[in-house]
Amino acid sequence: MNESEKPPLFKSWLGWYVLVLGVLVLQIVLYRILTVAFS
Amino acid sequence: MTTIDWIVLLLTIFFIVAYGTWKTRKTQSAETYLKGDNTLKWWMMGISIMATQASAITFLSTPGQAIEDGMRFLQFYFGLPLAMVIISVTMVPIYYRLKVYTAYEYLESRFDLKTRSLTALLFLVLRGLSAGITLFAPALVLSTILKLPIFITTLFIGTLVIVYVVAGGTKAVSITQRQQMAVIMGGMILAGILAFHLIPADVSFSDTVRIAGEMGKFNLVNLEFNISDRYNIWSGLIAGTFLFLSYFGTDQSQVGRYLGGTSVTESRLSLMFNGLLKIPMQFIILFIGVLVYVFYLFVQPPVFHNRVLLDRAVQTHLGDSIKHYEERFSEVHAKKRLAVDQLVSAIKEKNEESIKAAGELTKTFQEEERVLRDSVKSKIALAIPGAKNQDRDYMFLNFVLSNLPHGIIGLLLAVMFSAAMSSMAGELNALATTTSVDIYRRNFKPTASDAHYLKASRFFTVGWALLAMVFAMLANFAENLIQFVNIVGSLFYGTILGVFLTAFYLKRVGGTAVFWAAILAECIVLYCYKFTDIAFLLYNIIGCLSVMIYASIFQLFLPAPADKP
Repeated sequence: MNESEKPPLFKSWLGWYVLVLGVLVLQIVLYRILTVAFS
Repeated sequence: MTTIDWIVLLLTIFFIVAYGTWKTRKTQSAETYLKGDNTLKWWMMGISIMATQASAITFLSTPGQAIEDGMRFLQFYFGLPLAMVIISVTMVPIYYRLKVYTAYEYLESRFDLKTRSLTALLFLVLRGLSAGITLFAPALVLSTILKLPIFITTLFIGTLVIVYVVAGGTKAVSITQRQQMAVIMGGMILAGILAFHLIPADVSFSDTVRIAGEMGKFNLVNLEFNISDRYNIWSGLIAGTFLFLSYFGTDQSQVGRYLGGTSVTESRLSLMFNGLLKIPMQFIILFIGVLVYVFYLFVQPPVFHNRVLLDRAVQTHLGDSIKHYEERFSEVHAKKRLAVDQLVSAIKEKNEESIKAAGELTKTFQEEERVLRDSVKSKIALAIPGAKNQDRDYMFLNFVLSNLPHGIIGLLLAVMFSAAMSSMAGELNALATTTSVDIYRRNFKPTASDAHYLKASRFFTVGWALLAMVFAMLANFAENLIQFVNIVGSLFYGTILGVFLTAFYLKRVGGTAVFWAAILAECIVLYCYKFTDIAFLLYNIIGCLSVMIYASIFQLFLPAPADKP
């Protein structure tokens, strides 16, 4: 098991972490817009 | 249930069990049985992680939760992606470096044997209880729906799980979870599509969404901070992160899933997969509940969704009173239906004032319906003392049985059985692994042969399964089941996570300090549960911080621990 294995798609794991957290933020914004639009 | 439903149900279930057993029939070493053979790809582990978390309770309770309470339950999962990232950065590399079977092995190398054993025992109590509930929930609902005694459904699910988990261990769990997840997601999406098609044809998809919105079902994100509110963005992001850190980072039923990979990269990717897909998956399940809710605006729902219990109550001395409420419920629904028609017309005319007026009128009748439903529940409680008079867990399955075509009903029941089996299999595998590795091998029999440990692990799997089955047959819960599972988790996870975070980040704290801090923290959490009204998600933070703070304080009065790798 090599801990420093490179991840696919991105140069480092940071890219994956930003992607996952970015998608989370986008979802929260989208769901908030839906909440406000229908409140 | 017709013959075609039974054929679809039994064929689906037996195929999955037979396939998993056959594919892993050559499992002959304790390592392969407990850990798999480290050949799993990221997507296989990702599916396995999701399947272990998503029990039958998820698919029985969640749509009902949306029907009654809207989609706000989604916020509970907002902490999950954050937890996935933190676990990928901190825990996964450590577990791989130490080549552990269980998460608790690491605690001995960092602290001492008593801390490892205490944490493993806390996990066994928590997961043992959860396994019972995981089995009880679908066994109860399915026994009611299929009009079978609960011991038959419990025995059916439990025995099938025992067959393939005892045969193939970790690998069998992972292989079967792929098929189970395919059945689950395929079945649920099909149910959602059919639910939408059952709504009157002149109501378009956007009209449906607008109606649900007007009725307050799109309460997805609440920014208000309230310590007693179970679901808002802050409890989801802060307390949820702690809960999911504990669950995915320290609970062997999940750690065991992603330790089966070929490398750190595969394990990390499987966690990223879960971080990206879990919230959309929950959104879909909640949205299916919303579609069922809109359907019931046009078609009268039963006054109480557990029909078997309702029929029993009607046959008692309170039967006339319950029938009276049913008649009034029909009258109110007829009036509500007219208000809904006005709402649909107003939406089509895009007349905002009329939309608001018709929406308010519909809500008024909905409130009248709710009062009548509550009255029926009270009467049922009086008519049949001790009966579970909450019907939220029956709403979705009742809709399926009453309104979907034959064949699909069998498939949807297969979804529930598959979900029950997939999560129970993951739990049994983790319970057996922890009992075998952390308790039995480490404390009682350190030098036996591999064949002995394999036999012991299979024995523990059967033992835990039987315990869960007995628990499921004897249990009785009044609380909504999915909440009950999460409450049980929150009682123990905070303490377990506190021990792990102390291990990672408080390098000067030793085993004795963290051991006593963990015992004190668990007492504090149990006190909060018994004597305060603090939202249960916050127990995770309280437990975790208590361990870290008290361990640091206790360490001031204890000798410094010896340096360990």
